[in-house]
Amino acid sequence: MEQFISITLDLLNGFGETLTIFFVTLLLALPLGLLIAFGSMSRFKPLSALTRGFVWVIRGTPLMLQLLVVYYGPGLVMGQILLTEAYAVYLTFTINYACYFSEIYRGGIESISRGQYEAGKVLGMTKGEVFFKVILLQVVKRIIPPMSNEVITLVKDTSLARVIGYYELIYFAQRYSKNAGLLWPLFYTAVYYLVFTALLTLLFRWLEKKLDYFKT
Amino acid sequence: MNMLEIKGLRKRFGSIEVLKGIDLSLGKGEVLSIIGSSGGGKTTLLRCMNFLETADSGEIMVNGKSVYHACEGEKPVVTPEAQLSFGLVFQQFNLFPQYSVLENLMLAPKLRAKRKSTIGKRESMEEIRARAEELLATVGLTDKADAYPCQLSGGQQQRVAIARALMLSPEILCFDEPTSALDPELTGEVLRVIRSLKDSERTMIIVTHEMEFARHVSDKVIFIADGVIAEEGTPEEIFDHPQSEKLQAFLSHSQKE
Ligand SMILES: Nc1ncnc2c1ncn2[C@@H]1O[C@H](COP(=O)(O)OP(=O)(O)OP(=O)(O)O)[C@@H](O)[C@H]1O
Ligand SMILES: [Mg+2]
Repeated sequence: MEQFISITLDLLNGFGETLTIFFVTLLLALPLGLLIAFGSMSRFKPLSALTRGFVWVIRGTPLMLQLLVVYYGPGLVMGQILLTEAYAVYLTFTINYACYFSEIYRGGIESISRGQYEAGKVLGMTKGEVFFKVILLQVVKRIIPPMSNEVITLVKDTSLARVIGYYELIYFAQRYSKNAGLLWPLFYTAVYYLVFTALLTLLFRWLEKKLDYFKT
Repeated sequence: MNMLEIKGLRKRFGSIEVLKGIDLSLGKGEVLSIIGSSGGGKTTLLRCMNFLETADSGEIMVNGKSVYHACEGEKPVVTPEAQLSFGLVFQQFNLFPQYSVLENLMLAPKLRAKRKSTIGKRESMEEIRARAEELLATVGLTDKADAYPCQLSGGQQQRVAIARALMLSPEILCFDEPTSALDPELTGEVLRVIRSLKDSERTMIIVTHEMEFARHVSDKVIFIADGVIAEEGTPEEIFDHPQSEKLQAFLSHSQKE
């Protein structure tokens, strides 16, 4: 029992690391995704082609491979590792998720009828005002379901960080099997993920309810 | 002096020329109806006036002041003042779904009052709200101030859209088939609002398929066919004494419907 409690607490520390990846990634990828979405929708063809190409590469290759490239890549080229494990993880996860988010944003933005922009324009609103005061909330309402999928995937993807030696939850649990022959802590980590994704699911459901008062 | 003067307005989409030189003028407080068969360019003309399309050439003058002057090849900038000379009521209403009726009316004026570039007098929030409530009363929707667009009938939504356009006090209010997206039993309430606006001396341009309505509300009617004004005159001239065969055919066709 004592062992159970101490391992639970130790894994909680590991889960703290997992949550750090999760929140840093979300915080940076949510706005960066919007920038990438604008890039891919740009009427300036070279910019949109470049952005879409980049998104294609990021979405078309495994996140694990991207982690390895970002972490070890500079070493191959310049003979030394430039980023700490943590920065490599934050950078890779942020870019990867920003690309996924950007596609969801783009789909959402393009689904809003042209009439909404035109109504704003003839009422004398500027492009920025139309986007932030009229379009954005309608987009948010529409993308909540796909975003909640991505965000829940992110919770589990954090476990990939251990391939470059970032100490997150799975890593913490594996120490017990390596050092003490205990396998159950590894399986036990599922509880942490499950509880957290349950909370997220509730949060998204609440958000959806909040925006239920209007129809787009 | 005419309130609105349009000279030689042209617009092409790719290889097809949709407007082939439109000239028209309208006095203060006058109501102009635009009729014509589908694809003739009526919507395009309204959209050019509201700067949703950039006309390729031609000039638009409001109260003797040029607000748009394009020559072949160069596109002029549209100032906020030029934009606000015109208001537009859409066929599909285009209310902002996430805002209540009152907020729909107040959004654009509020933003305008806050904007740094706004010149002239800045309205206070109280003034804006008072005007919104007054306009809601004009369109008979005081009791719906806190409702959301999805809770309103099409006719009510269109009346909100009219009030919203009036909030910016446009010199000329344009309507693009304001009743064609409505069930027949709901068109009356919208047409009544438009008629009441005529009684209060609003200058308006109405694209419509409601010939009876056009006859009664208009001071002037133009018939657009294939991108040109094929015929123009008073409602009596247009509806009772059509000159061209095209107009005669159009009118007898629309009567059958
Ligand atoms: N954005 C656009 N791109 C290309 N062609 C267009 C565009 N908008 C309109 N057109 C074309 O211009 C012509 C005139 O269209 P417009 O909508 O102005 O006609 P209308 O008189 O309003 O017809 P309706 O009575 O059906 O509303 C049509 O042939 C239409 O296909
Ligand atoms: Mg039309």
